[in-house]
Amino acid sequence: MKEFPKYLLNRIGVADSHTLRAYRSQGGYQAIEDVLRKPWTQEQVIGVMKDSGLRGRGGAGFPTGMKWSFMPDITKDPRPRYLAVNADESEPGTCKDRVLMERDPHGLIEGCLIACYAMRSKAAYIYVRGEYRLSYNRLQAAIDEARAVGLIGKNILGTDFSCDIWMHKGAGAYICGEETGLMESLEGKRGHPRPKPPFPAGSGLWKSPTTVNHVESIFNAPFIVKNGAEWFKTMGVPKSTGNFLCGISGHVNKPGVYELPFGLTARQIIDEVAGGVWKGRKLKAFFPGGSSTGLLPASMVDVVMDHDSVKAAGSMFGTAAMIVLDETASIPQVMDVTARFYDHESCGQCSQCREGTQWLHQIFRRIAHGKGSPADLDLLVSLSNGMAPAKTICALADAAAIPTLAAVKHFRAEFEECIRLGRDPLRQESKTAPELHEAHA
Amino acid sequence: MTKIQINGRELEVDPKQPLIRACHDHGVDVPMYCYHPGLQAVGSCRICQVEVAGAPGQPSRVVAACRTPVSEGMVVQTDTPKAHETRRECLEFLLKNHPLDCPICDKAGECDLQDYSYNEGQGKGRSSEPRRKLHKRKSLGDVIVLDEERCILCSRCVRFFTDVTKKAQLTVEGLGSRSVINTFMDKPLEGNYQGNLADICPVGALTSKKFRFQARVWNLSKSLSTCAECSRGCSISVESLRGKEVKRFRPRYNAAVNQWWMCDTGRHALAPVTRALAPAGAVLGGRLTGAAVRGYNGLEARATEDTLPLVADMLATHSGATLVLSPFATEEEGKAALELARALGARPQFLSPAPNGLKDDLLHTGDPCPNRRGLTELGFEPVEPAALLAQLATAPAAVLAGERVLELVGHDGLAKLPSKLRLVAFDLEAADHACLHMAISVPTHVEKAGHWTNVDGHRGVLNVAVAPPAGVRRLDQSLQTLTRLLAGVSSKA
Repeated sequence: MKEFPKYLLNRIGVADSHTLRAYRSQGGYQAIEDVLRKPWTQEQVIGVMKDSGLRGRGGAGFPTGMKWSFMPDITKDPRPRYLAVNADESEPGTCKDRVLMERDPHGLIEGCLIACYAMRSKAAYIYVRGEYRLSYNRLQAAIDEARAVGLIGKNILGTDFSCDIWMHKGAGAYICGEETGLMESLEGKRGHPRPKPPFPAGSGLWKSPTTVNHVESIFNAPFIVKNGAEWFKTMGVPKSTGNFLCGISGHVNKPGVYELPFGLTARQIIDEVAGGVWKGRKLKAFFPGGSSTGLLPASMVDVVMDHDSVKAAGSMFGTAAMIVLDETASIPQVMDVTARFYDHESCGQCSQCREGTQWLHQIFRRIAHGKGSPADLDLLVSLSNGMAPAKTICALADAAAIPTLAAVKHFRAEFEECIRLGRDPLRQESKTAPELHEAHA
Repeated sequence: MTKIQINGRELEVDPKQPLIRACHDHGVDVPMYCYHPGLQAVGSCRICQVEVAGAPGQPSRVVAACRTPVSEGMVVQTDTPKAHETRRECLEFLLKNHPLDCPICDKAGECDLQDYSYNEGQGKGRSSEPRRKLHKRKSLGDVIVLDEERCILCSRCVRFFTDVTKKAQLTVEGLGSRSVINTFMDKPLEGNYQGNLADICPVGALTSKKFRFQARVWNLSKSLSTCAECSRGCSISVESLRGKEVKRFRPRYNAAVNQWWMCDTGRHALAPVTRALAPAGAVLGGRLTGAAVRGYNGLEARATEDTLPLVADMLATHSGATLVLSPFATEEEGKAALELARALGARPQFLSPAPNGLKDDLLHTGDPCPNRRGLTELGFEPVEPAALLAQLATAPAAVLAGERVLELVGHDGLAKLPSKLRLVAFDLEAADHACLHMAISVPTHVEKAGHWTNVDGHRGVLNVAVAPPAGVRRLDQSLQTLTRLLAGVSSKA
C-alpha cells in the first residue's frame, strides 16, 4: 500500500504525549493562538471548516462546518450557546476516540476552543463515557493545565474571548451517545432522546442553541485551521475528505486503531493494514462501521471505505469501526449478541424500539439456539421494517433493524440451515458465563 | 391562522397547536396514547403517525402528529394505506407484551388500546415469545393500583405530576423493555389529585382502588353534572350502573373551570348520594322518602302532599320564621325559596359552613358551598352554623331547606334547641331532635336538574343522573306549593 500523509495520530508517539509540555513542543495551541491574535472572524473559521469538507465522524457523516453554521445569529438571538462534545463512545467495535482522549487530550481541548470561538459559545461540555476513566482523568488534567496557563477561562491569551470547558461522566447508557439523549443526560435527567424538531441548534442544552460534535470531528478542527482547507482536501476522496481513525477488531492478525485516508477498500484495510484474517482463514463477513451498520458479506469486501460508497453498498460508514468475522463465525450467533445489545440499550420510550429490540433479540436467540421456525426470517424482516427507517424519536431502532435486515438478506441460507437442523452447526460457546448471557434475556 | 389540508379538506388551524390538535379539532380521528392535550407532548408512543406530503419531488413522510407543528400548505392524510400500516405496526409492538386481561380489566370498554386495536390492529398476533411477567397489583397509595404488565409506558402519569400538580411523584424506572412505572423510593403517592391517573391512563395499568371491580363500564350511563364538593364546581360526569346506583364521578373537560381534572375529594364523594333508604315504614335510620311529622310517639311517616298543608298552617300561626337554604341549593330552588321568604317576611339566608382546609393551588377552593355565588347573587345572605343556632334559640319557627342541611348545621347543636321552636326541615334524612316538628324529603344533587354558579361566575349544570326514590319530591316544587298554601291560609285568616 502506498504511503499517505498522516496527522491525527502523529503526536501520540512522543513520551507523555498527554501533557501540555509535549503538546506545545509539537506546535500545540498555535491554531487557536492564530485565530485569536490575527484575529479571524467567526465566519472565517466556519468558512474554512465548510471548505474543508470535513464530515462528522460520529456516524452520520454530516458536514461539520455546515452544522456550526446552523447556530442562530447572535445579533438576533442573545441566548447563551453551547458546544457539547460527544465522547460517549459506546458503539460496539468503536474504540478510536479513547486513543485521542488518553494520548492527546490537548488536541481535543484546542478543537473545543476553536469550535466555541466560531460559534460564540462560552462553554463546552465534554460528555465522556463513564467507563473511560483514564480518558476522563487525562482530559480533566489537561483542562486544569490549560486553565492554569490561561488557555481556558476568562480572556484567553489576553483577548476578549472567554471560554470554559467542563467534563461530564456518563453512567453507562449507550443511548446517551445519541445527541439529544446526551443533552438530557447533561441536564441531569434520564437520557431519553428528545423528538426533533426543535433541533439542538435552535433549542438544545437548557433550551439554548447547542451544537453536539463528535470527538474526532472536533479534533480535526485545529489541523484544518492551521493548514487550510486545501491541504485537508488533498487527503481522502472528493466527498469524504481528510483522514479517519479506523478501529478494526475481530478475526484479524493486527487489530487496532489506524489512521487511514478515505478511499481505501475494505479488502486493503483488512489485508494490508490489519494483517489479514487470522489463522489463515477466509473472510466471511464484516461490519464496516460498528454493530449498527449493516453486515456485509465477504463478496463485498472491495467496497471503498468512504461515506457514500459504503452507503451505496447498502450499509453505513458509521464510526469506521470494522468488525471482521472469519469463516468459522456463526451469523445467527453474531446477530443474537448484536440484538441483545440493542434490547439492553433501548431507552424504552418509543413503542417500536422498546418492544421491537426485545422481539428481534428473542427471535435471534431462538434461532441461534436451534429453536427457530421457518416463519421467523420473514417476521424479522417485517418487524425491522416496522421499526425503521425514521419511525421513532432517535435512530436506535434503526440501529437494531439495519443489521437485522442486512444479516437476513446476505445470510438467509445460513439461518435457514440452522432452523432446518434445529441447531447451529457453527455455534461457539461464548467465553462469558452462561448465567451472564441469561441475565439479560 | 395557518391553512392546511387534512384528508382533502382545506382547514384553517391554530399555528401554535400540534398537528394532532388540528386533526381532533376538525373531527378527524387520530389515535393517541402518550399525547394528552393537557400534558406536554413527548412523541414516544408513535401511534399518532399520519402521512404528510413531502416537498415537490420528495416522497411523503410518516410523522408523529403530536410532535409535528402545522405549517402553511401542509397536506396531511390520516387514512392512507401507508398511515394505517405504520399504526398497525405500532400496535403490534404495543400488544407484544400486553396481557390478554380484557375480560378482567376495569378499563375494558373504555380502553384506547382495545379501541384502536379493533380499528387498526391485526386479528392475529405473530409473537410466540413469552410475555413479560411483572407485578399485577402494585399499590401506589390509597387511590391507585398499578398493573405493570398492562402498562404501555406512555408516561402520561409521570407527566401528570410534573406538568399539572408540579410535583414529580412518578418516574419510568429501568431501561428499554425492562422499563416500569414507579414512585420515587417506593413511596406511596400523595396529594388530592391521584385519581386523575386512572382517567388519563390509556390502558388498564392504573386503576382506581375505589372503582376497581365495581362495574363494567359499558353498563354505566353517563350524565353531565357538576361537582358538589367546593365552590370550584368542576364539570363532571356522573356514571351510574344501569341508571340506578352512582358508581363514579369523573371529570369532564371544561376549559373555563377544571380543564380535564378533578380532585379526589370530589371524585370520591359518593357517600352523600348513595346512602341507604330508611327501612320501610320508618323515617329514621336512612334516607327519608316521604315526609315525617312529630306526633305523640315521635316522628311518624306521612305523605308529602299531606304534610305541606300542616307546614303552611304552622308557619301561618307562628309568624317570624327563619328561612335558611342548604349551600347545595340550586338557582331554581333559590328562586322558589325567595318567594317563600317574601311570603313569610323572612330574611333569605343560606348556610355557609367554615372553609374546610382543603384549598390548594390547582382546583379546590376550600369553600364547601358549591353555589355560594349563585345564592348570593339571588340575594341570600350567608350564615354560619354557630350564628344560625343562636338565631334559632330565640326564633318561634324555622324552615331549613336543602340537601344535608341538618348535618351541616350540626346535630349536637340542634339537639340542644328547645321543643318550642317549630323546626321544619327539607332534607335527605330526618333526625329525632325535640325541635324538629316536620321533615320532608328532597332529592340529592344527582337526582335533580338545576344550576350552580361557581366561584368565578361560571354556571354549572346538574342533571337527573338517577331517579330519586319513590315519594321524594323536588325541593323547588315543595317550596312553591308551600308558598301557594301560605297565600291561601293567610287569605282565609
